[in-house]
Formats: sequence, structure tokens, C-alpha cells
Amino acid sequence: MTVTSPLDAVRHALPSDTEREPHDYAIDGLLPRVAFSPDDRREVAELLRTAARHDLVVVPQGGRTALALGRPVDRYDVALDTRGLRRLVEYVPDDLTITAEAGISLRHLQDALGEHGQYLPVDPPPDDRVTLGGLLATARPGAWRGFTPGVRDLILGMTVALPDGLLARSGGRVVKNVSGYDLHRLHTGALGAFGVIVEASLKLAPLPVATRSLALRCGDLARAVRVGLALRDAPLSLRGLAVIAPRASAHASLPHEPHALVDLAGVEEAVVRSAREVDEVARRHGATPAEVGERPWQRLRALAGDESATVVRLGVPATATLEVVEEVRAVGCLAWAYPASGIVMGHADAGLQAGAVSALRDRARALGGYLQVEAASPELRRRVDPFDVDEREAVERLKAQFDPGHVINRGRWMEGL
Amino acid sequence: MPTNRPPALVAEVSDAVGAPHVLHAPEDLLAYEYDATIDRAAPDVVVFPNTAEEVSAVVAIAARHGLPVVPRGSGTGLAGGALAVRGGVLVVLTRMNRILEIDARNRTAVVEPGVINLQLQEAAGRHGLIYAPDPSSQRVCTLGGNVANNSGGPHTLAHGSTVSHVLGVEVVLPDGRITWLGGRLLDTPGPDLRGLFVGSEGTLGIATKICVRLIPKPEAVRTMLAIFESVEAASEAVSAIIRRGVIPVALEMLDREIIRIVEPRIQAGYPLDAGAVLLIEVEGVAEGVAVEGEAVVDACRRHGAREVRVATEQAERERLWEARKAGIGAIGAASPAFYLLDGVVPRTKLPAVMRDVLALSERYGFRCANIFHAGDGNLHPNIMFDPDVPGATDRVLELGGEIMRVCVKAGGSITGEHGVGYEKRSYMEWIFGPADLAAMDRVRVAFGGADRFNPCKVLPTGHGCATGHASDIQRALATPGVYV
Ligand SMILES: Cc1cc2nc3c(=O)[nH]c(=O)nc-3n(C[C@H](O)[C@H](O)[C@H](O)COP(=O)(O)OP(=O)(O)OC[C@H]3O[C@@H](n4cnc5c(N)ncnc54)[C@H](O)[C@@H]3O)c2cc1C
Repeated sequence: MTVTSPLDAVRHALPSDTEREPHDYAIDGLLPRVAFSPDDRREVAELLRTAARHDLVVVPQGGRTALALGRPVDRYDVALDTRGLRRLVEYVPDDLTITAEAGISLRHLQDALGEHGQYLPVDPPPDDRVTLGGLLATARPGAWRGFTPGVRDLILGMTVALPDGLLARSGGRVVKNVSGYDLHRLHTGALGAFGVIVEASLKLAPLPVATRSLALRCGDLARAVRVGLALRDAPLSLRGLAVIAPRASAHASLPHEPHALVDLAGVEEAVVRSAREVDEVARRHGATPAEVGERPWQRLRALAGDESATVVRLGVPATATLEVVEEVRAVGCLAWAYPASGIVMGHADAGLQAGAVSALRDRARALGGYLQVEAASPELRRRVDPFDVDEREAVERLKAQFDPGHVINRGRWMEGL
Repeated sequence: MPTNRPPALVAEVSDAVGAPHVLHAPEDLLAYEYDATIDRAAPDVVVFPNTAEEVSAVVAIAARHGLPVVPRGSGTGLAGGALAVRGGVLVVLTRMNRILEIDARNRTAVVEPGVINLQLQEAAGRHGLIYAPDPSSQRVCTLGGNVANNSGGPHTLAHGSTVSHVLGVEVVLPDGRITWLGGRLLDTPGPDLRGLFVGSEGTLGIATKICVRLIPKPEAVRTMLAIFESVEAASEAVSAIIRRGVIPVALEMLDREIIRIVEPRIQAGYPLDAGAVLLIEVEGVAEGVAVEGEAVVDACRRHGAREVRVATEQAERERLWEARKAGIGAIGAASPAFYLLDGVVPRTKLPAVMRDVLALSERYGFRCANIFHAGDGNLHPNIMFDPDVPGATDRVLELGGEIMRVCVKAGGSITGEHGVGYEKRSYMEWIFGPADLAAMDRVRVAFGGADRFNPCKVLPTGHGCATGHASDIQRALATPGVYV
């Protein structure tokens, strides 16, 4: 009888043509011991099961655009590249629903939908490489949130590979469904903590006929926030809204001044009327509107997704936007906010001190909110808990049920998990 | 009279919530034996806590005695979710009915679970805001029940079910601990435990506070009534509207049977000779509403609508809605009993599925009235019957099962908004495999509910739960009445 090493056991579990070069999968300067890109979901389940049996840590990854999210993993044995799972399983345009495998790139998906005048109504991520699975596992909101549903509200059903080798499905393919526990909600935003997403069914929306972006130059930040809230409350066909501090404005290809930025979308007549309404709000508040196109949005998204900087996302009540944006600026960040969802973003090229992040978090918490570290150096992500969830015990108990061996992303969620 | 009630139980729960807020006499328990479904089961004791701490104390007492805990709101549930199937402590949340906070600037409200859906709607309305989920039972059902069942309503089509409007929930867990899932904002970090809890039908814990999001009132609303010769033509029009790229906020269908029942009572102006009508609403910026409204009218006309009425005035709109809202109640008056089904299919399958539903009802010889959320593909066939006719109830249940199978075969689901509860547990195996159900069971174990927290609900297995769906229900159907 031969004793196989753990790595050989994994190799035996998968077809040899799914093995990849480890050096293509570095994370935080670490290389995995082996890497695989299976193209069948059963192989994913088998890989997890084998890894669990041999105490190997698996790090699932798709487009590799959110690897600085979460704590650095405790160990990195197996890279699981999900991009082999890229089938478009079912698309029924007249139902406005789609089922696709997790490794499909969002770009590819949106292109296929666009041919039918439809799309998945989520803020475009900064990077074309983002996969559907990555989008769901990170579930990070942007400027559209509050006007369009969150990713979690677009998921109709999901299939997930679990570390004991099970492939478990929840939900379905219909747009309304309350059968059984919505496990897909557990996996959304969980960074794979409870299993690896292999397929999802999603609700789609018609592409808006008309879109238009307007930036309102505001002179001072307090006015920009007032304008932002006034726009939120005006009868507009809005899809996105941001309030941007001066330095962030300059990075977003706007004049170095505070701005409110709106994205209008809908039928032509509604967008035209909304643009008039925006002018009216501007006039009332002494702000100067200008047509700006997509560019400022693209720049803001790039800042939010910048893995080489320190990026924080705070959630606070919309009425606290001004003070929190000021505080985020005060620690040296480019700062902007999405008042419709209470989000304030901070981007620091030179990084942030752990103390500064903690102080901002305390501030957000005192306001009933939160701070999530979206990207930072491994050192900072070790010193400051990137997520700081209140529900630690519930998360631990769920982890014990779904991934008792801590096979997937060990340590990434929180210390010891 | 429950025989195995621990002697100390009544005294202990009375200590926790006050003796006036405990029911234990057999005649008092009777009123809490059923919800809006057909089955019956008596709890050992009924308690009416007033605070989360009292709920926690009661849950801890039940845990100590190893007794089941069953949460309950107004008891309007249509899947037997609030039945004390294995006895135990029924925790009724109706005393916890305070709206704790409305923060109009941040568009949130914090409420206790016993607040009635409509009360929150009205309170939000005073600030120019809306709480979007609007189940037809909104005059009586509680937000706790809405959260537990992830309830929907006509406006779910555009705005999403309850889960899209709940930001956070304070929960008493099965071991008595009090915790928050989610918070006061959208998208709090971490796995979406809030989203997992919503729709868990009282099996993972008891909601004691709920933070919801409110949305602004639209500038303009247009309500339309499109009149068709047949259900099939109306169903085709549903797909045609969506294909145009218009997602109305509501898209409801009423068939001939229901129109003939409801119109004489309500006089909303629905034509008695129509095969089916669609009640369609679009809202938003006035200019957009005008364009989308025209697209809807055109799509209906092209698909055989003989007339499309358009209402923009509040009073006119309300009259059109009146018939929809009174529909289910009217069936109750028109038939000794009826069985209200809840299934979902992809909306493109509506024409074929509705054909099957009507054909099946005819084959079984029952009148079937359809009043439902067509835009979501969420069917509600109401099968009318007389339970005094020997064998009728058996056949109604059989028909119900067949209709559910039609939904499943069409790629749909066994429930769109009423929940699985007790009644549809065994149907879960029609849409989920053993691995799926095993994974779901883990959630229950993780929350600590296991077999004791609202036992015999949602999942098809469980110790001490009857197994056969039909046999469970038949027992209860021996009693005549209006079975919704
Ligand atoms: C005429 C009529 C029309 C209806 N129309 C609709 C409709 O349009 N859409 C729709 O979705 N439903 C509808 N329903 C179904 C029902 O009204 C909803 O499911 C409602 O949400 C139930 O609320 P309730 O307070 O009556 O809950 P109950 O029936 O008392 O309980 C329902 C479930 O919730 C649990 N529960 C109750 N309170 C809590 C709590 N605080 N914490 C944890 N669990 C709890 C119970 O254990 C049970 O499983 C209708 C019912 C009727 C009778």
C-alpha cells in the first residue's frame, strides 16, 4: 500500500488537465502549493472534499480583483480558479432571468444580455475580469445602490460546493420564491466562508433607453452634501448619486471642487425632465451643473477597486454624510459618498495607520453604522479586522456546520475563522 | 387538554410576563389552535410577552423544559406556520405593537414585531414615504409575520418582497440570547444573516425588533385595467409588457370566475363578461409614467385587449384596486370553503400553466377562481368546495397537489409568498434534493433551533412530525368552515 501525500491526493481527485502553474496565483506574496482550474462543478466539490480530508486550505478565486479584501489567509495550499466554470446555463430573455456558472466574467455576461437589451443592474465593477461568483461573494455596493437593488436582491437561486463534497442548491429560477432557507443569502458577501459558489440564477432588468450624467459644482462640501440630499429627494429618474470632496473630484476628472454627481437613467422623456429638475436643484442651491458623461463614474469605481491603496467603506446614516466625509478627509483620504445608501468611501494611496482606521470605525459605529476595509496592505489587514461583524458567534456556528475543517479561506473572515 | 404539560410551566411563564398575559385553560387555548390554513394543533400554553427580554425569558423557560416554541403574529399565515404542531409554548407577539422610530431623513423605521403592516404604511405615509411590501392581508398581518414569511404583495414586482426592505432584525435565538442580524443600513458587512433569517418562518428565532427601509412616494402613478376575452390572452399580454422593457410596479390578473364573485359586491366596474382582466400600475417621474403607460396600453391592445381603462386620479385608482383587495374575502362569502394555493412559474409559462390549471379544475369538477400576481408568475388558484360533500376535501387536496406539480414541471416553485410552513413540507422534496435539504438543515442546527423551534415546519423531516401531507390535513378538514 502506498501512502499518498495530501497534494497527490488532490491531484488524483481531478483530471490532470485542470492543474495550473502555482506562480500565477500569488496572494499577498504567497504562492499556493498547487493550483487547479476545474471546468465541472463536481470537480470543485471533489477538490474541496479531498482538501478537507487532508487538512489543506483552499482559496477560491475568479477574476482576482478582490484579493486584498479580508484578512490574509492563515495558509495557502490550493488555489481554486473558478474561471473554468463558465457556461451560460439558461437565458430566457422574456422571463428576464439568467442562470450562469460562477466563473463567467461579468463583462461576458453583460455582453450576452446587452444583445437582448437587458443587463444585470449592478454598478459596473472597475475591472472587466470580475467573475459572477466574485461579484456575489464580495457583494460590494456602489453608487447605484438604493436606486437599483443590491446584488443580494438579484439572486434567485444558487448552487454551492461544500467542503464535504455536497453540491447544494437553494432558491430557484423564478423571480419570486420562498421555498426553504435562502442559503444563497448566506453565501452572498461571505467570501466563500461557507462554500464555493458554482452557479447562480439572477433577476435582470431592461437596459435603460437613455442615460445621462451631470456633475454639479458646489463651492463647498456642505453645499455639495445638501445638494446631494436634495437630489435624492427630488422626483428624478435616478440610477446613481455621489457627493465628492475636492481632491477626489480632481481624481474623477472633475474640477478640484466639491461636487454632486448624478446618473440619470430611464425612458428618454423621464431623463430629459430629470435633467431639467437637476438644473433647478442646482439653481436653488447656487451650484453649477455640467454634462460629464461616464468618465467621473469610471474614475470613482477605479478608486474604489484600487487594490494597491488602502480603501475603506463606511456605512452611516445619510444625515451624517458631511461630518463623516470630513473625518475621512482629515486622515488623508480621497473621500466621496453615496447618500442613497449611506456609504462614505475613503481612498489613501499612502495607506492608513491602524489607529486611524479604528477611530473611523468607532465613529461609524457610534452612528449606528460600520466600517469595512476594502483593500489594504497585509500588515494593516492583520492589525485591523477588515469586517468587524457583530454576529461573530452566529458566523462561527454556521462555519462549524458548513466548513468545520476551516478548509476554505482559513483566517480570511476573522481570526480563527 | 394537553396532558403532558409540565406542572411548573404556567407559573414560570406567568412570572416572566405576568399572569394576565398567559392563557392555559383548554377553552382559551382553542382560539390558538389554528391560523388561516386548514390544520389544527393545540399549544400547551399561550404567552403574550411585551418586551424582547420577556420573549427571551419565555424562550429560556421552554428550553429548560425541552418544550417546542412557536412564534405567532396575527395568525393569518396560509401554510400552517404558526401551528403548535407538537404542542409547547405559543409566543404571540401582538402586544409588542409599537412603532419605535421613524427617521424620515434617513428613510428608516424601527418597529416591534406586532405592528400591523397597514399601520406602518400609514405612519410612513405621513412623512411622504412608503413601506413597500403590501400583502393583501395588510390590515391584519404583523410585520413579524411578514418578516418570518418574507411576504409579498402586488407591489413586490418592482420593489421586491419583504427581505428587500428589512435592514436589520433583533432576534431572540432558541437559547434565549438576544442578538441583531443586519443593522440600520443597507448591505452591512458580513454574510447576510439578516437575509437568511427573513423567510425562515419562525424556525431560527423570534424577531423582536425590525428596522425597515422606507422609500419615497412616486411623483406620478397610473393604474390601468385591461380587459381580455380569455386568461390565455391576458397571460400573453403579461409577457408582451415585460418584453417591451417595461416593469410595472404591479401587474395583477383576475379571471372570469373571480370577477363574477367580486364585482357584484364591490361595483368597481369590472365587466362581468370578460374572460380575464389585468390590473396594471406604473409609477415614477410623470413623463416616464406617461410613456410607459402608453407602452402598456399598446402591448395589451396588440394581444387582444378589447378595452384598456386608464386611471390617474387617486379615487379612480382606488376603485380599481378595491376589487383586487376584496377578492379573497369575496370568495369566502361565495363558497362554503375554498383552498387558496400559492405557486410560481416563469412568467413566459403563464399561458400554458393557466390552461392546465383551468383544465385540471374542470376535470375535478371544482370552481376555481384566479386572482394573482401575474407579473411575477405567482399563481393563486382558489378552489371552491363544500366540505360536507363526501370525498370533496380529498379531491381538493389532490387537485392542489396536481397544480403544484404543474408549477414544478414548468420550472417553478411550490410557494412564492405564503411559505412552506407545515402544509407544504413534503412538497419540498419535489424541488430540492437530499443534499439541498441537508444543507438547509445545517442552518437550523447552527441557529440552535433544531427540532424544538417551530418544529415540523419548512423542512420535510423532523422528529415527531407526521409525514404524510394529505393525511395530516384530512384530519382537520373534518370541520366545516372557510378554509383559506
Ligand atoms: C386573506 C389573506 C390574504 C393574504 N394575502 C397575502 C399576500 O398578498 N401576500 C403574502 O405574502 N401573504 C398573504 N397572506 C398570508 C399572510 O397574511 C402572511 O404570511 C403574513 O405575513 C402573516 O402574518 P401574521 O402576523 O398573520 O403571521 P402568523 O400567521 O401569525 O405567522 C406566520 C409565520 O410567522 C412566524 N412568526 C410570526 N411572528 C414572528 C416573529 N415575531 N418572529 C419569528 N417568527 C414569527 C410564525 O411562526 C409563522 O411561521 C394572506 C393571508 C390571508 C388570510
